[in-house]
Amino acid sequence: MKKVVMGNHAVSYGVRASEAKVISAYPITPQTHVVELLSELVANGEIDAKFIKVESEHSAMAACVGASAAGSRAFTATSSQGLLLMTEMLHWAVGARLPIVLTNVNRAIGPPWSIWTDQNDSLSMRDVGWIQIYCESNQETQDAIPQAFKIAEEVQLPVMLVLDAFFLSHTYEIVDLLDVEKVREFLPPYNPELKIDPADPHSFGNLASADYYMELRYMIEEAMDEARGIIKRVGREFGEHFGRHYGMVVPYRCDDADVILVTSGTVASTTRAVIDEMRDEGIKIGALKIRVLRPFPFKEVSEVLCSAKKVAVLDRNISFGNHGIFYQEVKSALYGKTDIPILGYILGLGGRDVTPKVIREVADKAIKDKNPEPYINWIGVKK
Amino acid sequence: MSKQTKFESYREMPIRAMTVDNMLWNETGSWRNVKPVYDNKVSPCIYGCPAGENIQHYIQLVIDRKYKEAWETIIETNPMPAVTGRVCSHPCMDKCTRGDYDETVNINAIERALGDMGLDNPEWMTKPEKSKKEKIAVVGSGPAGLTSAFYLARTGYSVTLYEAGETLGGVLRWGIPEYRLPDSVLDRVVEFILSSGKIKVEAGTTVGKDIEFKKLRNNFDAVFLGVGLMKSRQLGIPNEDCKGVEPGLDYLRKVNSGQVSSSSDKAVVIGGGNTAMDVARSALRKGSDVTVVYRRTRTEMPAIASEIEEAEKEGIKFRFLASPKDIVTDGDKLSKVIFQEMELGEPDETGRRSPVPLEGKTFTMDVDRLFTAIGEKGDLDGFKSEVDTEWELIKVKGEFGETGKKKIFAGGDIVTGAASVVEAVAAGRRAAEKIDRVFNNEKDPPIEQEIDFGIENINTDYFPKSKRVLKPRIPASEAIKGFEEIFKGFDEQMLQKEADRCFSCGVCNYCDNCWIYCPDASIIRKDDEYEIDFDFCKGCLVCVEECPRSALSIEEEGK
Repeated sequence: MKKVVMGNHAVSYGVRASEAKVISAYPITPQTHVVELLSELVANGEIDAKFIKVESEHSAMAACVGASAAGSRAFTATSSQGLLLMTEMLHWAVGARLPIVLTNVNRAIGPPWSIWTDQNDSLSMRDVGWIQIYCESNQETQDAIPQAFKIAEEVQLPVMLVLDAFFLSHTYEIVDLLDVEKVREFLPPYNPELKIDPADPHSFGNLASADYYMELRYMIEEAMDEARGIIKRVGREFGEHFGRHYGMVVPYRCDDADVILVTSGTVASTTRAVIDEMRDEGIKIGALKIRVLRPFPFKEVSEVLCSAKKVAVLDRNISFGNHGIFYQEVKSALYGKTDIPILGYILGLGGRDVTPKVIREVADKAIKDKNPEPYINWIGVKK
Repeated sequence: MSKQTKFESYREMPIRAMTVDNMLWNETGSWRNVKPVYDNKVSPCIYGCPAGENIQHYIQLVIDRKYKEAWETIIETNPMPAVTGRVCSHPCMDKCTRGDYDETVNINAIERALGDMGLDNPEWMTKPEKSKKEKIAVVGSGPAGLTSAFYLARTGYSVTLYEAGETLGGVLRWGIPEYRLPDSVLDRVVEFILSSGKIKVEAGTTVGKDIEFKKLRNNFDAVFLGVGLMKSRQLGIPNEDCKGVEPGLDYLRKVNSGQVSSSSDKAVVIGGGNTAMDVARSALRKGSDVTVVYRRTRTEMPAIASEIEEAEKEGIKFRFLASPKDIVTDGDKLSKVIFQEMELGEPDETGRRSPVPLEGKTFTMDVDRLFTAIGEKGDLDGFKSEVDTEWELIKVKGEFGETGKKKIFAGGDIVTGAASVVEAVAAGRRAAEKIDRVFNNEKDPPIEQEIDFGIENINTDYFPKSKRVLKPRIPASEAIKGFEEIFKGFDEQMLQKEADRCFSCGVCNYCDNCWIYCPDASIIRKDDEYEIDFDFCKGCLVCVEECPRSALSIEEEGK
């Protein structure tokens, strides 16, 4: 069934379709609609789940940790400061190997106070051990939820789904809503082997000496590596069930492109419009959307980018003292594989609009720029 | 936890950090790696008491106003708290942890209060339930003899108590002045001890003179010798036997039996022990101007510190680092004493610095009377051949007064040399218990090792600082006018106030702190103990931390 829904509600419908059993969340702009609708769906019986109101995001994740450890499919959503408050519990979910799914609406971090989008909140959780998937449209935002649960439950790692504040969260689009029965064929009920069971009590999250801590970390990385194949397979299977395929990356007109712009989130859609416009002008340019940041798709990224003569990465984030975070990731993926210049651009922080005009400016600059600047390329800063 | 889990490869491990075995053995899970245990220790005061009085316990009973039980607790180890509560050197108080905080608990005063209560409540004394066939002779009715007779009789043995004097009490009667231990009190104590039953008294009977020692050995199943030290040591200087020179013990005997009249003369007492103090203070009360001359310094004086202080308060003069060298007589009467000045030399094997004469330095004092109190010796006439002796003392083997001769036991000053009343009490009881064990073919109990316990084991946050409650007293200026007992007993309010100062070191007194602080409500209160519900105890050890008195200890899990 197709319906015009806002990005946040697309998330809620994705959770409904995935039959999550425990939803625990604390409201925060611009995520609030997600849990508002979920609480209504639980209240009116459309979702057979326990909705747990909590006093903070830390507790929201703690509740999910408990529920997931007990073998329930658990979901939460948050944004920005809320995600930061969850930090300790985010680590816990990974160390305890719990397949929790979290939707984070990208919002800039204060101060100065901001409710608008950029990626620094989720990217500051890059190294925690969560699988991270950046969504581009309301449809993808919904479709990502059952895929996320399927991936998470197979590799026993939590998954963070990310969408831009307002540009996606509050924007209405037509979404083909998932049917619960059909999703059940794609995503079977969660019934883990290792879970809290009062009849067979074990102690979880207990002390591990230096003799075994590393082994447990090694297993997390092993699962992350395994997730690369599983994310692709799950994306394919989803396509087989619902006609919409998803992969690690989305190349656009890259095959013969001299210059490739690397993007993520909603900027990817805008970029494709600019690519079409420039292609019409005869410029050989393409775009690569990175959908999955963790585990990083080294193979897919280098395969696409190595055919180009120049790469420009558009970052809606900044790692102070280094560069844009996707830029660093791309560089590391291409290290030793090609000599082409890799250029990085910082734009759109704190919700500043990344319009086709801005992207065109970056593209034109990238075509002109010969080598990476020794300093960061800031786009549109009032100097 | 029965054993530690070992993995050869990560592939053997669960992906989750979790216990491999289930946790049915412990509902707290693997969180707890240490656990609290209630672990009562022995309070330092108890180690300090030669008689091993369970001081901490009777003080806590006093707090609960269980005076009879408190008294019974003392009586387990000392039958004469009314005596020791007056004259004891109270080494228990030197060990009192409170001394490192504000002031030691006045254990001696508490002991006296309980001792006096016992005298006021004769019905508290119980008669022995069982009668044993063995008969035992006890020679001497000083603290050692009375104590051994008491415990032997209490165990059910028939005791015959031989005393050379006409009245019982030995040194307690003739050696300790009235102002420290009134006869009236001693009479009641003796009566009380005899009231326990089964003690036949043979007073006015000197063993070895009025009755042969052999006869005792033949007629009794065991003999306990607690004859004490009866004779003063001599100075060993010229003219010592002249008129005006008198052994201190002889003088005390006369004073205590009312044979001394007042005189305003100049008296010198030689010595630094308790006898010297008793002689000096008695002579002062009889009108003499008294100087104590001691060959070491005040620090080395063996007398009880408070006795020295009292003597000073009363106006006794002290001359240290001097020793009598010669006596000058006027006819057959003492007129002057020439003293050799001394200095302290190297420490001897006991760590005490020996006095060494200062060559050529002497001084002379006009003296009317000279009392010797440089030590006492035993009177072994009558049984010298029956036991091994050394330095005019009886030699014993081991801790319990065995002389090595069949049936014969000994204890008190005649074994140790001049010591304290409480040590004689301890020796009397130890020998009585040993005699009982010999009859029953029982083994000796192991000797307990003293544990370290100090102020660092007390959570002082729970104890406001407070002053020791002192025994009421008559002022020194009044005291010297006669032989009235100087110190009076506590009333109940004083007793409660002082008992309340006891830390109850290392011993749970059910203060509820552990129960109050346990964040997991894992401590269960029973009638007279606590129990820990280890299904819920996380091993946080808040209870151990908050126990004011270290009555809880820490145990490692899985060990």
